[in-house]
Amino acid sequence: MKSLLDQEFSDSNIVVTKAEDLLNWARLSSVWQLGFGLACCAIEMMATSASHYDFDRFGVIPRATPRQADAIIISGTVTLKMATRIKRLYEQMPDPKYIISMGSCSNSGGPYWQHGYSVLKGIDRVIPVDVYVPGCPPRPEALLEGLLKLQEKIRNESLVKKTA
Amino acid sequence: MLTEFGKIFIFLLLAIFFVIVAVLFSKFIRPARPTKEKLLTYECGENPEGSPWIKFNIRFYVVALIFLIFDVEVVLLFPWALSYKEFGLPGFLVGAIFLIVLGLGMAYEWRKGDLEWARPVIQPPVLKKQTYSKDGILVSEEKAKESSAVLQDQV
Amino acid sequence: MKTREEIFNILKQEFPEDVLELLNQPTEPIIVASPGAIHNICFYLRDTEGLQFDSLMVLSGVDDANGEKQTEEDGSVTINGGTLSVYYHLESLSLTQKVTLKVSTPRDNPEVESVESVWKSANWHEREAYDMFGIKFLHHPDLRRILMPYDWDAGYPLRKDYKNPEFYQGMKVPY
Repeated sequence: MKSLLDQEFSDSNIVVTKAEDLLNWARLSSVWQLGFGLACCAIEMMATSASHYDFDRFGVIPRATPRQADAIIISGTVTLKMATRIKRLYEQMPDPKYIISMGSCSNSGGPYWQHGYSVLKGIDRVIPVDVYVPGCPPRPEALLEGLLKLQEKIRNESLVKKTA
Repeated sequence: MLTEFGKIFIFLLLAIFFVIVAVLFSKFIRPARPTKEKLLTYECGENPEGSPWIKFNIRFYVVALIFLIFDVEVVLLFPWALSYKEFGLPGFLVGAIFLIVLGLGMAYEWRKGDLEWARPVIQPPVLKKQTYSKDGILVSEEKAKESSAVLQDQV
Repeated sequence: MKTREEIFNILKQEFPEDVLELLNQPTEPIIVASPGAIHNICFYLRDTEGLQFDSLMVLSGVDDANGEKQTEEDGSVTINGGTLSVYYHLESLSLTQKVTLKVSTPRDNPEVESVESVWKSANWHEREAYDMFGIKFLHHPDLRRILMPYDWDAGYPLRKDYKNPEFYQGMKVPY
């Protein structure tokens, strides 16, 4: 039997909508991220986690294992060697899982887009990205904005089966 | 009439019931989408090699125990180091005796070979061959090399 | 402290066949040596009184790109012949003197003697030069790729005629 949250309901009655409101609120208020820094963007991510910008007030806590994480922030240059590992880590996160691509490098290869022989030109070639944060590196405010966008996206998720 | 232990029994039943309900409830609700990759052992993204269920060397535990003992001693030494001026010579002597006892323990385990990583070779006591005269007086004493060699072979 | 000309003369006296010339570059004179004897020269530079080059600051590979260039139809360039070079920047910490060595090796079969036995720090530097230029260091204890993936079979990325592959493990590489 499929468990309750794996099912898609055909009609959106008040029980389903209220339940999904509660569920989305719970999910967006505690986006635990996989502590995963790759390059200079990771310094900005750490600054965002630190006291001044305080990622924790949005419920973002860095976790040390993908088993406990809801989101992964790809912060920095993704080399081809690392991309296979990122894919494996993403696969090992429990559903539902979200991805914030932080910085030009993970968005599109950044400064390495032409001559970077070892750089993956955009993490979306490997895993599906929810929010792109531009910048090289983005300021902590930009990452907070990206998180708010992700929360907006989670808030609009639905248990109801999508109709064409 | 409920005895005092009867209350504890009810408490126990409630606790078991609560755990079962919580586990079943979350199993009923949570999304379960296992894949082969997800069920793989977490190795920081690397391909796992071999089974993670391997035996650890028992000597890790010895080292951990020794570390624990000498680590806890620092807890005693810090307040002593902060305030031994107030106690003067007696306080210093007490601390010194404590450290000497610890040093003896350290020397003992060093001698026993517990600080070595490889398994220590036990040194058997060397038997002395004693020759007595008819009157029972000790005449000569020499190390019996053959017997100790036999002992070492057994080890 | 000795000037580079003095060091060159000492080396020329000791290794008349293997020390080839003194290149006068605008930055600094460079001693050119033959690749088959570079480890002997380096041992001599390290152990001789008055030279004492105890530190290998950097070992770098260079693609000279002085071969015959052929432009393909798609605009890519292949280079035939010519040389690859390895530069050794040595410093003597006790005598505060520096010297730069260079060896050139044919591009088709680039082989240089390893100086890993002279300075242990050369180990990873030589692995990097092998990784990026494909220069084989003879008698190196562990000559593997160091930066690129072990299964990278598209060649050596810092050569001037390197072409990036279309795919690596199913991931598209070009932009």
